[in-house]
Amino acid sequence: MTSTTDNNSAASKKDRPIAISVKNVFKQFTIPHEKISTLRSAFVNFFKRNSYESFYALKDVSFEVKKGEFFGIIGRNGSGKSTLLKILAGVYTANKGVININGLVSPFLELGIGFNPELSGRDNIYLNATVLGLCEKEIDEKFDSIVAFSELERFIDQKIKNYSSGMQVRLAFSVAIHANREILLMDEVLAVGDSNFQSKCLREFVRYKDMGKTVILVTHDISTMRKYCDRAMLLRSGEVVMIGSAEEVANGYIYQNMSDEERRVMRDQEMARIKEQKGAKGSKAEDAERDGDGGKAVVITGVEFLDKNGKPKNVFVSGDDMSIRVYFKQHKEVAELNFGLAIYNDDGNYAFGVNTFMDEVDTQKYKKNGYCQVDYKNIPLRTNSYYVGFAIYGDNVHNAYDYVPRMKSFQVFSKDKNFGMVNIGYKWN
Amino acid sequence: MPSRFMTKSHENYRELVMRIAKTDFKLRYHGSVLGYVWVILKPLLMFTILNFVFSSIFNFRNSGTPYYPLELLTALLLFQFFSEATMTGLMSLVNKAQLVTKIYVPRWTIVLGSTMNALFVFGMNLIVLALFFVYYGRIPTLGGVAMFIVYALLLYILAVAFSFLTAPFYVRFRDLSTIWEVLLSVIMYASPVIYPLTSLPVRYWQIILLNPFAFIVNYSKQGLINNNYTTFWHFMAMVAGIVLAGVIAFLVFRKYEKTVAELI
Repeated sequence: MTSTTDNNSAASKKDRPIAISVKNVFKQFTIPHEKISTLRSAFVNFFKRNSYESFYALKDVSFEVKKGEFFGIIGRNGSGKSTLLKILAGVYTANKGVININGLVSPFLELGIGFNPELSGRDNIYLNATVLGLCEKEIDEKFDSIVAFSELERFIDQKIKNYSSGMQVRLAFSVAIHANREILLMDEVLAVGDSNFQSKCLREFVRYKDMGKTVILVTHDISTMRKYCDRAMLLRSGEVVMIGSAEEVANGYIYQNMSDEERRVMRDQEMARIKEQKGAKGSKAEDAERDGDGGKAVVITGVEFLDKNGKPKNVFVSGDDMSIRVYFKQHKEVAELNFGLAIYNDDGNYAFGVNTFMDEVDTQKYKKNGYCQVDYKNIPLRTNSYYVGFAIYGDNVHNAYDYVPRMKSFQVFSKDKNFGMVNIGYKWN
Repeated sequence: MPSRFMTKSHENYRELVMRIAKTDFKLRYHGSVLGYVWVILKPLLMFTILNFVFSSIFNFRNSGTPYYPLELLTALLLFQFFSEATMTGLMSLVNKAQLVTKIYVPRWTIVLGSTMNALFVFGMNLIVLALFFVYYGRIPTLGGVAMFIVYALLLYILAVAFSFLTAPFYVRFRDLSTIWEVLLSVIMYASPVIYPLTSLPVRYWQIILLNPFAFIVNYSKQGLINNNYTTFWHFMAMVAGIVLAGVIAFLVFRKYEKTVAELI
């Protein structure tokens, strides 16, 4: 521990001073395979090595937060965001790296900020406000305001153990914001508590920010982050993926989730294929069922989304080229064959549709190939999930040989800074 | 080297320690019918039993220790003070896990605050002790009282040092509380608590007084009752030993407290 480096107040206030700076921080956890909490097991383990496993919860994390900033930390479960917050709060100590915090921190980690379940709400307010650095006189003054904000007037003399988790969070949050410290660390506060209280908390954040205080918010709610954070950081398995504007990071997070989703879908398909090759029976029987479905002349058997190189894919970036390929089987010879394809978004809105009948396409080559393919150039869809519907019919559009309204979904992620369903090319004039 | 720079991590340590101590005191007898009466009742009951056994059976009163009940009560209170302070100190971090894992509080304030409860209780019991001295018609000299206070403070420092040394390890090894419980009774019987030092052969005195607890108990009651003190150099050696133990304990604590939150 070294004392503070003199933060020269002489430094111009124009370029705002740094509130938190984290440089190359590593945090390693050792997980004993069996928790050692008695001397006996420590003794046994002394002779039996290799019973530890260590992993890095944080790997070389560096970032800076300026004073008065609203900084978001986002990432999936296990990405290390809560560990990072605990290090900033001083609960954990980093194994390596330098952390520089300029100002007093009011942490709000998990449920409750060190409440004692046996004490009344009143006593817990006094205990926690003291922990957050208020003196007795200040607490006396702020007590009514703390209780009023938490809306727990009726329960304040009850023991905390009789509180619901939502009530505990309300009280804890109320104490944390009344502590009036320069830096507020918030971990998933919005997960608990009803929507009324959530919006109240968020309003309070904004007020905090207006007062020139620094707020660090850990969340996995993208819309909250977009709405309130100035800047944000995306973590993944303990590493910083990106630091940037909230919008950029939100997009990065969505994209990350989508590529994870892509991988999951691919894996599922792979598994299904392996299963099919191994057992064969289950899926074959299903096929037969579909084939024999009322003795249809033509049956749709599958759909695939392809990128511009013809590689199967389920997640696309807005503006990419994309192909939809639909496989079918013909059981009886039919004179005329027409195909119709529709794209809906996840909310069920009809986004786009085409058919070969209207476009007067010669479908003979499709017959030969056993599939029909539509190529799209630069898909203008914005971020959402979409699914396709497909129909095969003869010369009568209303009498389909086969029709599958909701076949398979794909996802689109948009990097553009605009809103709505589609990205219509535009220019400000 | 991991490091952490901060302007200030906390500004009112004193208030924090006092708040933790007060909270503990509040919780101590909560849910019991007699409540704080137990603070005084518990040592008195112990005293009554031990006094009956040792005054009537071993008859220390008539074999050179006329004020045996006063000696017994003084020693008992000191022992109870020490055992309670060390026990709560040892378990402080685990018992206050919510202050360790959910929020940052300088950890030493938790240990110190937890031990203070024993100090409060001891302070209250001193009133009873004073009444006993009056009842037995033995008014101690000013020097005796002053030395008693000094010894009580030294004992408290010793208990706090023990707590700092052991609290971070109790998080890792919960057997420590059981081990310490046993050791406490060893310490009690190895010190002149229920028996006067004079009832032992003189050759054992020096060995017994090497134990700082025995030293403190013996000379605080000697000072109060018989106006009898140790030599200056012996006293200084003990003070130096306790202060050194305190410094070492605190350094060890600072080293091992860092990982406490992950291990609880």
